[in-house]
Parts: sequence; structure tokens; C-alpha cells
Amino acid sequence: MSMDVKALEDDRHHRYVLNMGPQHPSTHGVLRVLLELEGEYAMNLLPVLGYGHRCHEKIAEFKPAKSFMPNTARMDYLGALIYNHGFAQLLEKAAGIEVPERVEYIRVITSELNRIQSHLLWYGAYLLDLGAFTPIMYSFDDREHILDILEDVTGSRLTYCYFRVGGVSKDIDEKFVTGTRAFIKRLRSRFPMYEDLVNGNIILQKRLIDVGELTPHTCARYGITGPLLRGTGVAYDMRRAEPYSIYSKFDFEIPTGTKGDCMASFMVRFHEMEQSLRIIEQALDGLPEGSIMAAKVPKKLKIPAGDYNSSVEAPRGELSYYLVSDGSDVPYRLKVRTPSYSNLSVIPEMCQGMLLSDVVSAMGALDLVIPEIDR
Amino acid sequence: MDINQVKKQWQKLSTAVEDIEYAVSGHDYNVCLERDKVRDFATLMLNEGFYLVDLMAVHVTPAIEVVYQFAHFETRCRVLARAFVDDKVEMPTISDIYQGANWHERETRDFHGVVFIGHPYLKPLILPEEDVDLKPLLKAEAKLKDVDAVRRKPPEPAPAPKAKPAPKPEVKPAAVKSQEQS
Repeated sequence: MSMDVKALEDDRHHRYVLNMGPQHPSTHGVLRVLLELEGEYAMNLLPVLGYGHRCHEKIAEFKPAKSFMPNTARMDYLGALIYNHGFAQLLEKAAGIEVPERVEYIRVITSELNRIQSHLLWYGAYLLDLGAFTPIMYSFDDREHILDILEDVTGSRLTYCYFRVGGVSKDIDEKFVTGTRAFIKRLRSRFPMYEDLVNGNIILQKRLIDVGELTPHTCARYGITGPLLRGTGVAYDMRRAEPYSIYSKFDFEIPTGTKGDCMASFMVRFHEMEQSLRIIEQALDGLPEGSIMAAKVPKKLKIPAGDYNSSVEAPRGELSYYLVSDGSDVPYRLKVRTPSYSNLSVIPEMCQGMLLSDVVSAMGALDLVIPEIDR
Repeated sequence: MDINQVKKQWQKLSTAVEDIEYAVSGHDYNVCLERDKVRDFATLMLNEGFYLVDLMAVHVTPAIEVVYQFAHFETRCRVLARAFVDDKVEMPTISDIYQGANWHERETRDFHGVVFIGHPYLKPLILPEEDVDLKPLLKAEAKLKDVDAVRRKPPEPAPAPKAKPAPKPEVKPAAVKSQEQS
């Protein structure tokens, strides 16, 4: 991989290439970015991907579709349950399986806890990128509670494989419900502290406002979704635009920004945590009794020939599974459309001409999870 | 966006526009395109405010099929557009219209070897540079299917109930057997 660097006539401002990553802490995982710098300004950016490629799409073509579920969790390790949800839904749609209502409620509650967990990690890590060390201690403290709650019911702390085709693997109990309610109360009481400690901070505002501005048209050209898109003022959320599962039953808002800069997506993510809490609260109140598994799920799940799509709102944007089936139980082709992939591809355009330190701000605002890009 | 007007424009560009059931497939429309109309179609979609969800390839006979997925920010309208590559496994690029297609096209070049004509930087993205001709997602001869084998069968709900009564006669002999045993 190389970059064409043309020497400028004026020798005082010569251009040079700086290699950022794959071990740089602000690239979150194994992303490498080649930066063509002029002084401290990034004139050209070239992301280099593929360090974490694990051939998930190839693996999918060699085993029954049902047993691909653990792989989904390993793509986006922060939104594992939501990736589970999308895939379970895809197969249920394809095979025509009706899911019991209690399952849908459990799925929504755990998915939203997972979303808050992801946002809390981003919150701490982003501020760490920007040079603020303290907030990550607070946000990891809160996040730990979610991990404990989810560990009890799913058995794992990060790469959950909790959803099954037609249901979930284990029922939630009284301990889960009381624990979640206690957590909601706790996190609500922490929000004002975050506002005081971080969001109003003048250094943070100087680092984020007017940095990395996006427009809805840019988002359409690159396929950017999620909080970045909502930061530009477009209230596009799969939970509302194409209501899946039982999201149409709940009353929640879709936070939006106006300017499309880093501050806008920062605030969108921050307010989304409160909305997720609202959804969880409503779901806990309405939690019905019943079975946690659909009645008839064949052991060998044959998928009728044709193509199927299932889209869900992952913490970083729209996640789509596209399955092409030839009528057998093994997918003929499975394509996973991951949100970070499209979101990151805007980097060369978004960061051109920026200060290097602002590139770090802008990349952090994308909330990158590299394993879901490389797949 | 007026969907009926957009549909009329699709019909001008495509060989077939098909309404499909969202509840079953997750898409609203299926558009079959000729190779040389792909760029016109992408321009039309961008002007109508669609965003590019995904771009991928499926290896079938007679030729590799490139699948484009579009959706809209304001209304629910998921569009699937397909086109076959030509004999030289080439396809016009849409990366100058939808810049997001840039990486998707590089990935498709990695995995299926589809060459996107006019792409500004068609270098390996996911695979390492030395694996440029690996094309890992191409099917082996024995596994390769015809395009009709992966298409939805039109009278799909009809055979399903037929298939269900079929196991029932098997149950009856079992009952007879148990009588014999008793």
C-alpha cells in the first residue's frame, strides 16, 4: 500500500506520510490510516482495512444457517445481542416461524441494555481519545452493572449468543427484573452528573463543535446511518422507520441534532441512552408470561429458495442481513451489511484538510468497531 | 418522493420491475437491470433521495450477479436492483455517483473478482495484496447453482401446505404397527 506524495515547490511545507495504527489507541482495534500530512493538516487519508478479517461470510456458506448465530456476536462485539436479533429475525422470517410474545419482550429488553452498554463504552473511550481520562472510570462503572445483569441470564459478558431461532436460550427471572429496574434508577441519577462533568465542558465543546460536519446528502451518498445521520437532523431509526419485533408498541423519541458535527452525534448518542431506558421500562411493565421458544422449530431448518433481508438498528446504525437461499438449510450466500463499514468510508472526504487532532475527534465520533468492518 | 412516478422511471431503465412482499422478503421492489443502465439507475436513485444500503455479488450461472440495495430516509421503500456481469466479469462503477460504493466495489473485486470499470482505486480492501486473485467467495463447480434455483418460487405458499399433509400418512402406518404390536 502506498500513497502518491508529490513534493511541493515550496520546500518549507513539504508533505509526508504518517502511519496511524493499527496499534494506535484512537483507532479502536486494528484500523490503520495512512495520513498525508502538510504540517499538522491531514491533506489525504487512506484507511487500510482487513487486519481483523475472519471470513464470516465464507463460513456461513459451509454450515447450517442456525449454527451461524455465534458468529454474528463476534462481528460487533459491543452490539452482540442486536446482531443476534437481526439474524434470528432473518431466519424466522425466511422459515415463517412465529415467535412467542414473551420472547419479543425479552429480546427488546436485552437488546436495549446492550445498546446502552455500547454507548457507555463509546462515551468513555471517546473522551479518553480526546484526552479526558476520568469519564471512562465512571462510564465503565455503570457499564459493569449491565454486564452483570446480562451475564446472569445469557452466560457471557461480551460475545453473547443468547437468541435462538424461535426464542431465547434461557428465561429471565425475578432477579433480572429487579436488577434491571435498579439499574435504570441508577443510570438516570447519573445522567445529571455526566452533564455537569462532561457535556458542558468548554474543552469538549471546543474539540467537537464544527468538527467533521456531515449533511443528509453526504449521508445518502455514503450510506451513513445511525447517530451520525440523526445528528444531521434526519430522524431515521430502523426501530421507527421499519418497526421490527415489538418496537411499534413503545413510546420513545428519536433524538436528533441539527448541525451534523461531532457534537451533534455526541449528544444524539447521549440522549439515546435515556430513550433506551424508557423502552426497557415499558417492556418490563408489559412483560407477559408464556413460553420462551416457538412451538415448532424444525431441527433442520430448511429455508425456501429466494432472498431475504432483515434490518435492525444496531448501536452504530443500520445492520442488514441479506440471505440468498437455494432451498437447503445452508445459506447459498449471506451478506452482512454492517453500519461502521459505510460510516468509516466517509473518512477521506470528512477529514480532508483537518488538523490531525481533529481527525481523532472525527474518527471517535464514528464510534468504530473494526471487527464488524473487516468481518 | 412519489413512488408511482419513480416506478415509471424505473420501468424505462429496467427489464422488469416487480413488487415483492415486504413481510416475506424484507424488500418492497425488485428491479432487474441491464449492465449499461446501472449508472443511469444509480443517478436516478440518488436524485430521488435513496441511500445505498449495500452492494454485493452472488455467484450463479450463467454469470455473477451484482446486487444493489437501496432504501429511503423518509419512507419505507427497500429496493433491490440486480444486474449480471458480462463475459469479462466487468461492471460499470457507481462509485462516482454513490461514493459509499467505492469500498463495496473493492470488496466485491476481492471476493468475486468482479472488475468495476471506471473505479478510481480498485485495490484489495479486505484481503491482503498478494491474494488479489484468490476470489474466495466464488463457488466450486459442484456447488454452483443456476440463477433460477435461488429465486423465490411464485406459488410458494401452495406447496407448503401440500408438504405438510405428506408426513401424516406416515403417522398412520405407525399407528397400525402399534396395533399389530398390541
